[in-house]
Amino acid sequence: MTVLIGYVPSPEGEAALRAGIDEARRRGERILVVNTSRGDAMVDTRFAQEPDLAHVREDLAALGIDFDIRQVLGGRDAAEEIIELAEKSEASLVVIGLRRRSAVGKLIMGSSAQQILLGAGCPVLAVKAAATTS
Amino acid sequence: MENLNHLMQGFEDVVAPMNLLLALIGVVIGTAVGVLPGIGPAMTVALLLPITYGMEPVQAFIMFAGIFYGGMYGGSTTSILLNTPGESSSVVTAIEGNKMAKAGRAAQALATAAIGSFVAGTIGTLLLVLVTPFVVEFAVSLGAPDYFALMLLAFVAVTSVLGSSRIRGLISLLLGLTIGVVGIDAVSGQQRLTLGIPQLADGIDVVVVAVGIFAVGEALWVAAHLRRKPAEVTPVGRPWMGAGDWKRSWRPWLRGTAYGFPFGALPAGGAEIPTFLSYATERRLTKHPEEFGKGAIEGVAGPEAANNASAAGTLVPMLALGLPANATAAVMLAAFQMHGIQPGPLLFERETALVWALIASLFIGNLLLLLLNLPLAPTWAKLLRIPRPYLYAGILFFASMGAYAVNAQPVDLFVLLVLGLLGFAMRRFGLPVLPLIVGVILGPRAELQGRRSLQLSGGELSGLVGGPVSYAVYTTVVLMLAWPLIRRFVVRPLRAARRA
Amino acid sequence: MSSQVDERSAESTRSPEGKDRAQYGVCAFLALLGAAVIVDGLGIRHLTSTTDPVGPRTVPVILGVLLLVVAAVYAVDVARGGRGEPEAGEDVDLSQGSDWRTVLLLIVAFLVNAVLIERLGWVISGTLLFWGTAFALGNRHYVRNLAIAVALSLITFYAFAIGLGVNLPAGVLQGIL
Repeated sequence: MTVLIGYVPSPEGEAALRAGIDEARRRGERILVVNTSRGDAMVDTRFAQEPDLAHVREDLAALGIDFDIRQVLGGRDAAEEIIELAEKSEASLVVIGLRRRSAVGKLIMGSSAQQILLGAGCPVLAVKAAATTS
Repeated sequence: MENLNHLMQGFEDVVAPMNLLLALIGVVIGTAVGVLPGIGPAMTVALLLPITYGMEPVQAFIMFAGIFYGGMYGGSTTSILLNTPGESSSVVTAIEGNKMAKAGRAAQALATAAIGSFVAGTIGTLLLVLVTPFVVEFAVSLGAPDYFALMLLAFVAVTSVLGSSRIRGLISLLLGLTIGVVGIDAVSGQQRLTLGIPQLADGIDVVVVAVGIFAVGEALWVAAHLRRKPAEVTPVGRPWMGAGDWKRSWRPWLRGTAYGFPFGALPAGGAEIPTFLSYATERRLTKHPEEFGKGAIEGVAGPEAANNASAAGTLVPMLALGLPANATAAVMLAAFQMHGIQPGPLLFERETALVWALIASLFIGNLLLLLLNLPLAPTWAKLLRIPRPYLYAGILFFASMGAYAVNAQPVDLFVLLVLGLLGFAMRRFGLPVLPLIVGVILGPRAELQGRRSLQLSGGELSGLVGGPVSYAVYTTVVLMLAWPLIRRFVVRPLRAARRA
Repeated sequence: MSSQVDERSAESTRSPEGKDRAQYGVCAFLALLGAAVIVDGLGIRHLTSTTDPVGPRTVPVILGVLLLVVAAVYAVDVARGGRGEPEAGEDVDLSQGSDWRTVLLLIVAFLVNAVLIERLGWVISGTLLFWGTAFALGNRHYVRNLAIAVALSLITFYAFAIGLGVNLPAGVLQGIL
């Protein structure tokens, strides 16, 4: 079984990574870190560049956990991608970070987190950035 | 003295609140569009043409001055923040600027680029004021044969000096000349290449050609080859420089300006050569050679100044002779024609107020650009996050609107698409686009001047050779055409002999 | 312990070696164009006079001949292995092949606008153009795109056609806008 972590290079993403690592150790499962980008803009701050990935790889390797990192480019929304990967890898848990958004923002853009919460076939753990930094 | 008075009058025109606002809008929109990935200065001006359709010429050109410099500056911002230059003239800026940004000195790189652009732009415009009247005085004395020779020189220069392949440049030029022939012949009134379509009798509007080749062609080309992997971008704060950076920047700014302006003023001199020369010079003169290649501030300051000074330089032949020396100047020239104004020596006599208002707003636009860009840089960086579907949908939307509104006829939209596909094919096969646009603009005028010369001589070909100017120009043309042979049989043996 | 990048666009990469044979198509196009220009040029009535000893035919015929010559020279260049460098750019990835589907869809969206602009007016045809191009480029937020397209068309119509007096047709919405 696997703990799937939706990773984004941001405080929320880091929080999800920490929480996911804790859960994986508690359960004794392997970790699958997923980072996605639709790849349709010149610049996407949610796309993890090589330095970000290197630091994730280092952290996980230092802890001695069995892990895999996947980056999916182009195509669909992050939520669809994560739901599908969770099914394929038979994940026991999906961990995602939540960011604070305005009402208008939610109305226009929709919410990936909501889509994952409703669409995933396994339990979903949603963490906020502030909750884990203290 | 008289020109100084004209310039003061120009400033008076521009400083009127409404005109100042237009200059500001021009600078803001020009920079914003120029920053967008994949949109260079020429496309920026082409896309923003329709904004000025309904305006008086003076106001339109006040705005264009802002768009011109804004588009130039926007492009270099993108090169510093991403390691991918949009234009060949910002290659050098991209090398050192991006290295600086990665080393946490993005703020300084942007600052030296912005202030350097301002210094170079201001000095360049000042030189424009000093030099242009002499060029005009010289140009007024030229006859039809001299003009014909000058245009021939421009054709040869854009096809054989720029780009890697002469044959490809020539193909592009011939395509442009052919497009220029379409329509009713101005002298005899006969229809040529109109295919029986009545709307083509007036010829294909230069604006439609510019928008088709630069905007639609580019958008289609990029759409077919979209980069999927997001680029790495360096976070920026507000640009600033310390005393040390100022000390290291001011000389490169001045030297860059000295390289840039004369090259810009030459037909087909362009911005590439002076930026590279400036970079090489700074590298040799610097006290910090170890930093070059790793983010030396001189390597951003010099080339950026050279780039902007060359932009000011291109305005000299454009205003005084009506000869476009680079793509952006070509589109600006199209904008002039759009407003029924023909650049050339008579422009300074007939449209004195307009010309000097344009020059005054170049100064003001430059200043506004500096005031605006230092605080707004982080905002510009956010524009890079616009999803491409919206970006390219926006380009095609404004391109269609601009092309339709020129003559209010749907035929132009089909012509625009054909030209867009032509632009696509040219990018695919590595055919340079500048010779085409120069051919479209200058072709009909060259034909007119050539026919005028032959009219004077009663059809004898000797009529094409006028005074000493045409002799000098034809000599240059022959030298340019024969340069590969000269290099092979004269320069190389000489060098070899010296070495031996 | 691995990391990998999945690319969804599964297209074969073009090999940089070998001749670029498509360039012969350009030669053919240039030759045809040259011939067409000559034929059209010879079809013009040859009017010369003392004020215009050259006449309207000369320049097109010279251009046509030059086009034929250049087509031949280009063909020789291609046969010798000459190739043009496809234009690079900050947003261009030349390692992949061309995405023809996107280009075709864009052309369709463009033609729809050209055909409908006078009948339906800029506001409607412009909306279709923006929405269509966003769709062609792979954006699937249909409702959001429609809202943006309508807003953009309305803003440009009011700002340019009504504010600045630029020629944009109102079409079927004449009197409503």
